[in-house]
Amino acid sequence: MNKNKNSLEANNRKSVAITAVIFLLPVILFLAVYVLYPIIDTFVISTYKWNGISANRDFVGLKNWKRLLEDTKFWAAFWHNIVIMVVSVVIQIPLGLALATFLNFFTKKVRISRVFKTVWFFPYLMSSVAIGFLFTYALATNGGIISTISGWFGGQNIDLLGNPKTALLTIILIVSWQFTPFYMVYCMAGYSGISDDIYEASVIDGATRGQYFWKVALPLLKPSLISAAILSMVGSLKYFDLIYVMTNGGPGSSTELMATYMYKFSFSQFNMGYGSTVAGGMFILITAVALLTMKGLNRGGEE
Amino acid sequence: MKRKQAAALGLAAVMAVSMCACGNSEKKESKSEGGGASDEKTITYWNIGTEDPDQSILKSAVDYFNENSDSGYQVEMTSIQNDKYKEKLVIAMSSGECPDMYTSWTGGPLQEYIESGYAQPVTDLYKEKGLDKIYMESATAQASFNDEIYAVPILNVAISGIFYNKDMFDKYSLKEPETISDLENICETLKKNDIVPFALANSTKWQGSMYYQGLATRYAGLDDFRAAFDGSGSFDAECFKYAGEKIQDWVKKGYFPEGVNSLSTDDGQDKQLLYQEQACMFYSGSWYTGTIKSDSEEFYNKLGWFPFPAADGVDKGAEYASICNGTIGDQFISFSCKDDKLKAAFDCVSYYSTEESINNMVDNGKIPPVAGVQEKLSDPLSLEICQFAESATDVQLWYDQYLPSSVANAHLDSCQELFGLTMTPEDACAATQAAMQEYIADKE
Repeated sequence: MNKNKNSLEANNRKSVAITAVIFLLPVILFLAVYVLYPIIDTFVISTYKWNGISANRDFVGLKNWKRLLEDTKFWAAFWHNIVIMVVSVVIQIPLGLALATFLNFFTKKVRISRVFKTVWFFPYLMSSVAIGFLFTYALATNGGIISTISGWFGGQNIDLLGNPKTALLTIILIVSWQFTPFYMVYCMAGYSGISDDIYEASVIDGATRGQYFWKVALPLLKPSLISAAILSMVGSLKYFDLIYVMTNGGPGSSTELMATYMYKFSFSQFNMGYGSTVAGGMFILITAVALLTMKGLNRGGEE
Repeated sequence: MKRKQAAALGLAAVMAVSMCACGNSEKKESKSEGGGASDEKTITYWNIGTEDPDQSILKSAVDYFNENSDSGYQVEMTSIQNDKYKEKLVIAMSSGECPDMYTSWTGGPLQEYIESGYAQPVTDLYKEKGLDKIYMESATAQASFNDEIYAVPILNVAISGIFYNKDMFDKYSLKEPETISDLENICETLKKNDIVPFALANSTKWQGSMYYQGLATRYAGLDDFRAAFDGSGSFDAECFKYAGEKIQDWVKKGYFPEGVNSLSTDDGQDKQLLYQEQACMFYSGSWYTGTIKSDSEEFYNKLGWFPFPAADGVDKGAEYASICNGTIGDQFISFSCKDDKLKAAFDCVSYYSTEESINNMVDNGKIPPVAGVQEKLSDPLSLEICQFAESATDVQLWYDQYLPSSVANAHLDSCQELFGLTMTPEDACAATQAAMQEYIADKE
């Protein structure tokens, strides 16, 4: 009898395992070809001096990496990425949460909440290039929105994008405009994971809406917020779109990011070897930051 | 269990097949769009003629060839916006889909293309078709490298100079300046009357570089630049500091539009200032004759032109003032194809040197780099420009096209910072010099 039971279990496990492998195979293939191979190839190319188009390339070992470590422009770009990361997390997630909370508490007046939902979600649907183009005109120094408003108050033209001190922050605000709706939806999904019973129970216990939010809903949303934070951080470290479209790293190099810096070396300065090194450096830095954050936040979450 | 496994296998197979199919069809699409590497009978041709008159001028050769050639080949033209063109070209080359014919500005990048094998020498075909007699010597020289010819100059003698609104000059009783201090006086008068002296949109950095080049050249000629380029001199030379200081002086005096580093020239924001008569002068390449003429013939007739004036108190001031910053030929076509395809492609390009095409270009305000083109020019501005170019004592291709890319980028970045007052002239010189030294060290 025991023997039969064991072999049934074993058979079961075996066929589940086979099914699993068959399901996983195409994805693993896909990942290996489109993700693993390019990453390995990037590191290989980073050990060469290559202009990106010729058939010849010279092996230079770790020379490019040495240059990367000493490259002040790269570390300045990394700093800009960190700035984007911090400001984005501080703006986008709380704002997204606030919008989701607003929508969640007003579900009774369904029609109006639908209008708000649609309107607030709109920026996320636009392409980065379209947004970049739009805001380049909207923030123009002569005749743009900010300058005109400042004119009403008797002020002068304000140059946001051509001024190295304000360019980066301006672009971060525009990025926030584009991505906050994503976090709004993310938090709404989080809210739908909290069953109505909990709200009703807290009302019966005499909690106000505010108390419900801070003491009940927020702790329950913590896992969602943590993953949102990690998404935002990794996204900020990889960011490219609006900077490339609106300022291309300028004025000077005040809005240079790691990704635009890599792009410049790889495709306009005929130095694919060093560009790959920058890409490799990005990969290492982003992985490190992501792992540290996940460990740190998850530990906090478990407690 | 078995059904589950069968379903799983089925799904996996479908996904695998769809991935492979996707991959293949993507490849086919991109090859017929931009590559033509596998499609034997199409010659792909890339250029930056996204607007008229350039687009129709460039297309004329393609149409003529496609209708009249019996080589069995057809030419397919793709025009790409100028700022992204170089990057797209490099991406195409590195993915094995280099266009068969493509335009370039010669200089550093063309050298890279040649050394990587993407530009074939065409010396024999060039001489066979007699192009060395038709085109100006300096144009052919610009297309040559190590005694072989690698490109065909086709479009325009483009040198930098100042276009100005004659009506405004008359209104404020201004005359064309002889020296830089004259120019500054003109700027002061315009400033007092609430006109922005120079229309400039510097977000792409090269427009501002024109001022830098003009000032440096007028101050000390081309020797310092050439020495800095081959390593015997340095970008820390006097003339470059002078250029930087002058630019910052002018920025502080308000001679450029506000927020100049955020204005975009590809979006025409500098032309707008000119057309709306909020700015009076426009210092840029003379190819704008064609652009402005096709934008508004009426406004074009209001324009005058003068070369950047001489520096005051400089020994060889007059000689330096006759140097041209620019290119004799503007767009040069290089070829990456070989044998029969190269012959056919060269045939197509030789249309640009026919009487018909040259006349077409002249009518559209272009100055084709053809010997004796002066006799064809009736447009007063083009005539002035051409005369200045022919009497030039020397020509220097724009720094950002001539220098190797890494040095050009260092120059453009620091120049833009000069306009933004975020870098001192000394630091700008040092940055460019550092990049040049690194390039020279790398080459060895």
